[in-house]
Amino acid sequence: MTPPSASALLEAKALTREFDEGQVKALRGVDFSINDGDFVAIVGPSGCGKSTLLQLLGALDRPTSGTLLYRGQSLPDLPNPAAYRAHEVGFIFQAFHLLPTFTAVENVQIPMFETDRSASERRERAVELLKLVGLQPRLDHFPSKLSGGERQRVAIARSLANEPSLLLADEPTGNLDSENAHAILDLIIRLQQAQGRTMVLVTHDPTIAERAQRILRMKDGRIVSDDKP
Amino acid sequence: MTFFTVVIRGLLRRPLRTGFTLAGISIGIAAVVALVGMARGFQKGWQLGLKARGTDIVVNNRTGGLTPKPFDASICDQIAKLPKIAATCNILVEITSVEDSDLMILSGREWGSFCWNNLELVSGRMPQDATEEAAVLGQTAADVLKKKVGDPIQIETKQLQVVGIVKGGAIVEDGSVILSLPLLQMILGTPNQINAIDVRVTPSTSQEQIRQLTQQIEQQFPEVRALTLSEHLSHSEGFRLVQAMSWGTSLLAIVVGVLGVMNTMLMSVFERTHEISVLLALGWSRRRIMRMILDEAAMLGLLGGIVGVALGVIGVKILGASPAIRGLLKPDLSIALLTLSVLIAMAVGIISGLYPAWRSSRLAPSRALQSG
Repeated sequence: MTPPSASALLEAKALTREFDEGQVKALRGVDFSINDGDFVAIVGPSGCGKSTLLQLLGALDRPTSGTLLYRGQSLPDLPNPAAYRAHEVGFIFQAFHLLPTFTAVENVQIPMFETDRSASERRERAVELLKLVGLQPRLDHFPSKLSGGERQRVAIARSLANEPSLLLADEPTGNLDSENAHAILDLIIRLQQAQGRTMVLVTHDPTIAERAQRILRMKDGRIVSDDKP
Repeated sequence: MTFFTVVIRGLLRRPLRTGFTLAGISIGIAAVVALVGMARGFQKGWQLGLKARGTDIVVNNRTGGLTPKPFDASICDQIAKLPKIAATCNILVEITSVEDSDLMILSGREWGSFCWNNLELVSGRMPQDATEEAAVLGQTAADVLKKKVGDPIQIETKQLQVVGIVKGGAIVEDGSVILSLPLLQMILGTPNQINAIDVRVTPSTSQEQIRQLTQQIEQQFPEVRALTLSEHLSHSEGFRLVQAMSWGTSLLAIVVGVLGVMNTMLMSVFERTHEISVLLALGWSRRRIMRMILDEAAMLGLLGGIVGVALGVIGVKILGASPAIRGLLKPDLSIALLTLSVLIAMAVGIISGLYPAWRSSRLAPSRALQSG
């Protein structure tokens, strides 16, 4: 087992997550360490526990046992997990999860309510981020008026709103056609690398996983291999 | 985008449902404004009526309702002998239907007493004496009954003649059919019975002395209650009943409003379960989620309150002009009442939003990752 490294951003030891009073074991003891700036893909068949792991990393859920550290701090014991999600994590979901009653530029501003930015600063930053993802002409469009690729671009801009250290992407191209999927993946990787963020990307698609610096393969709630292609 | 925009978008998500909820609160608040405004107008009208007649003390039977139980007129002579009393006036008041009007004040006044002095003739003349089968009508009463000088008027079983139209300086006076006391006693079959004595004190008497005088009257005549002008209105069971009824009905309207808003907000929270989970996943605190729902509910209340007050004012104006009510009261829509109504509506919103807000804050952020 590797000793804890000084630059470890995330560290998991004997992490388990059970549901229905132990009837369902989603994670059966997972160990790994992810360094600052890493791009890690988690692959595996559906039901292998990869999404459960992502939820634990995002403090959306708590492990049943084991330790999970973020910069040396225990995630399940965070006094304010919402603040962690707001300031440290950017989520990119498969189904985009934009709020339908808000325009593109408004959706990007949603996470910024948890910061001290003024209304005009929020808008300014949202416009800047949408420019970055190539959506400047669509600022005031509602999600229903955007294509799938455009929606995911808005969601990517939103994930960057509070300049998180960690990007968590759950099948980010799963709802897109192959052309859009490539473009979105390129965009995510470009943004991740340009800004030196850490990214954990969950996918079942091996061609996407190959773009990562490191691939964690999961099966039945365990990590079965840890490759660096 | 400000947080206010977020709140407004939440409400505009289902414009029809928001609209219906607003209509519900508005109607409730309109009822509050109308009922309380009418009740207060009624009370104020009587107070002004007494003031216009120059009354300082009102003597009633102990069971005093709105038109209190009659008692024997002989007490009046004895009260008149007390010190500091300038004048007395025996009165018999009855609220009854007269011809086409369902609610009309019949005011029988002691002939020659000060209670006739405030009446200013607009047309015609005063009755010649206590026995002439004649009545004078307040301006509004004449209007409501569609009578002019010389017309006959049917009071119970007796036909009288309208001899004059008067201005009385107060809405109750203008809305009354005024006739001499013995005539009304005869018509109602209650000889020597009165239900109020208006007492006027000598000019130099202080408020404190007036209060002492009321105590003296009550001691000397245990069967009656003597009240100063302001006490009279707050003690009157009739007024208290009207007030209790108006606030009681209002309370019911408010409870219905609370249930309506709560239902809407709960539906809205259930419907937005997924969206709220996404907000939580994006880092919104539970407090911010609660505030969003509470603000939406408060906003519903505030808007409902404003629309309700407007509806209430319009409704009261229409009601006040209707023949059944005109002359009996002039609605009292003070700024205080209107402000209070809007505040009540906002409170309705906030109270109704508490439970839905709490529910929304209990949602799990992990639901955001599940397909939605």
